[in-house]
Amino acid sequence: MPASPLLKPFRYAWEYLKEISGENSYDRYLQTHAATHPGKSPMTRGEYYRARQDEKFANPGSRCP
Amino acid sequence: MGNSLRRYGVWVVVALVGAVCWGVLALSRGETINAGWLLFAAIASYAIAYRFYARFIQRRVLETDDSRATPAERLNNGRDFEPMDRRVLFGHHFAAIAGAGPLVGPVLAAQMGFLPGTVWIIVGVILAGAVQDMTTLFFSMRRDGKTLGQMAREEIGPVGGVAALVAVLSIMVILLAVLALVVVLALAASPWGAFSLAMTLPIALLMGVYLRFLRPGRVLEVSLIGVALLFLAIIGGGWIAESSPYADFWTFTPNQIVFALIAYGFVASVLPVWVLLAPRDYLSTFMKIGTILLLAIGIAVTLPSIQMPKVTEFASTGAGPVFAGPLFPFVFITIACGALSGFHALVASGTTPKLIQKESQVRFIGYGAMLMESFVAVMALIAATTLDPGVYFAMNAPASVLGDTVQSASQAVNGFGFQVDPQTLTQTAQNVGEESIIGRTGGAPTLAVGMSAIFSSIIGGAALQAFWYHFAIMFEALFILTTVDAGTRVGRFMIQDMIGNVYRPFARTSWLPGNLVASALIVGAWGYFLYAGVNDPLGGINQLFPLFGIANQLLAAVALTVGTTILIKMGKLRYAWVTGLPLAWDAAVTLTASWMKIFSSDPTLGFFAQRAAAQEALANGELYGTAQSADDVRQIITNSTVDGILSILFALLIIIVIGDAVRVWFGLIRGGQRPEMSEAPWEESRLDSEGNEIEREPVGAGR
Repeated sequence: MPASPLLKPFRYAWEYLKEISGENSYDRYLQTHAATHPGKSPMTRGEYYRARQDEKFANPGSRCP
Repeated sequence: MGNSLRRYGVWVVVALVGAVCWGVLALSRGETINAGWLLFAAIASYAIAYRFYARFIQRRVLETDDSRATPAERLNNGRDFEPMDRRVLFGHHFAAIAGAGPLVGPVLAAQMGFLPGTVWIIVGVILAGAVQDMTTLFFSMRRDGKTLGQMAREEIGPVGGVAALVAVLSIMVILLAVLALVVVLALAASPWGAFSLAMTLPIALLMGVYLRFLRPGRVLEVSLIGVALLFLAIIGGGWIAESSPYADFWTFTPNQIVFALIAYGFVASVLPVWVLLAPRDYLSTFMKIGTILLLAIGIAVTLPSIQMPKVTEFASTGAGPVFAGPLFPFVFITIACGALSGFHALVASGTTPKLIQKESQVRFIGYGAMLMESFVAVMALIAATTLDPGVYFAMNAPASVLGDTVQSASQAVNGFGFQVDPQTLTQTAQNVGEESIIGRTGGAPTLAVGMSAIFSSIIGGAALQAFWYHFAIMFEALFILTTVDAGTRVGRFMIQDMIGNVYRPFARTSWLPGNLVASALIVGAWGYFLYAGVNDPLGGINQLFPLFGIANQLLAAVALTVGTTILIKMGKLRYAWVTGLPLAWDAAVTLTASWMKIFSSDPTLGFFAQRAAAQEALANGELYGTAQSADDVRQIITNSTVDGILSILFALLIIIVIGDAVRVWFGLIRGGQRPEMSEAPWEESRLDSEGNEIEREPVGAGR
């Protein structure tokens, strides 16, 4: 698909959104997993996400008012 | 020569633009002034500060070293330690530091005119707030992401460490109470607001189930659904408010909302996070970023006029109806987030330092994100000051002063020295779809009226103003509730940890009895202050907000003290002023404010003077202030005693932390020996500035 230069900012914004929301963190996990644990089967998307979520909020850190 | 002209020429232009804007703001004599001057004064100042001051701190003071591996790289475990793209991390960090604080403080401080708040927000962030965030982030990163409390203990001593811990817990309690109070004040007697906010519960539940079981991890998809449902809830609220049986059902008294919030806080803290907390987090983050963007565009496009005078007489008399006390120190207490917020030190020493790719990025993430938050505060200030000052005071003075009718409110506002006719008040309430706007304190409704005027002038016109008003209310309430959720949980974990030192099983966060007890303790603590604030006969927000400000600045004092101590230990004594000056300022502000709150003989300002005056009134069988009954007077006595004792506690904590640190400083300067630091050892980085693995040759190592 030839990308029009006009669409570039939108593509960039979309990529950024996917990155920042954690939408593509599973894909990233698959990559690292394949590289670091060859031969072992990775978690499914559901397992991965649930594990990640529990971990993240087990230590909720703080946020500002 | 030509090169340096090109390099600095643009900065000369930026400096000139900034200087002209500041000049116009300072010298304006007219009735109104365009918000554009304020906007550009802020942007120019931020740009120069980021380019020159932040760079100076990064290169000379901290001497960041990009050849040194960050903890994210060294300890990379793909979970909490992981090098993250700086733009993505910026977003995460900004979302974590930008809450309701920068939206509420500037609105309240606007009673002294637009200029004091503006100057403090912009100068404060450049010299204090952003410096605190950036240095804390850096020092925590050099220590593998240690928390502020741990750093205080290791760098200063056990006394400083304990004081920091107590400070964090007490600020959490006051903070949650004040924020919940803002929600109560915004939703009481507003069926529209109450309905839309209540609908966020089923929406969050639905999102939670969807994310966990139906389509795990599809965050964008579910957020989109959530936001769409949220809009439906706001529209639905409009219908509810118009049909009388439903409207009555959804009209709550302040105390009903208080108990609903307390119950909610407890349940949300006990339940697993995926049910409410996690989906709310997504929802409120998206709403937050979206609304802030919309507000920025709105202000830039409409360039509204600021109606509030430059400086009102309340700045010098200290007799303002929104909160008592003169400009110094109370503007600097009231506006915390956006200028200097100790709470950020908790974020900057928690998650973020474990994710930084390169040391030099602390400038972009620490300093830059704080500048962004300051900009949010500036926009909130603009939105509040573009209101008619008469309307502003009719909304923000305590209801007990204003009376029940538009006529009495108009008269009370005249008494403050501003004009507003009763019709304007009725009309404004009608425009935003509320019964009344009188005495809607807490800052959120004021900001919502201002925002709705700006939004509706771009989209929808007058017909949509009521929608935009409730959109703004919902947006604030939503992320205040998210903070209440998350803050309660943080507080619960802290309590479990503390009791866990004495009784082991408590430390296990999954142990249900411990969970229940700790949740009840933390919710009970903030619930008490919330209840007392809502039922305070003198108006809760003006009593509690200064306490919240003092507690927040107390935490900033801890962070800046730790920073100064570490700078001295690093052998950077001659640059210690970078954190030392903001610390001195912060200490002066907080201690003066505490002094006034404790010792002032003016009963509207000093808690103990208020207590004495109320006691005397009670003894003589009279009423005090705006109290309606003897019970009210007793309530005032209790509240002023509790608030007064808290003021003493906070002041003592500041003195202890700084005193303990000064002892350490003198020891270091006199002793001359190499001080102990708990920095992680140097290790060479294998990542380039984009986070890619590099094949390192022996040459070109020290970039």
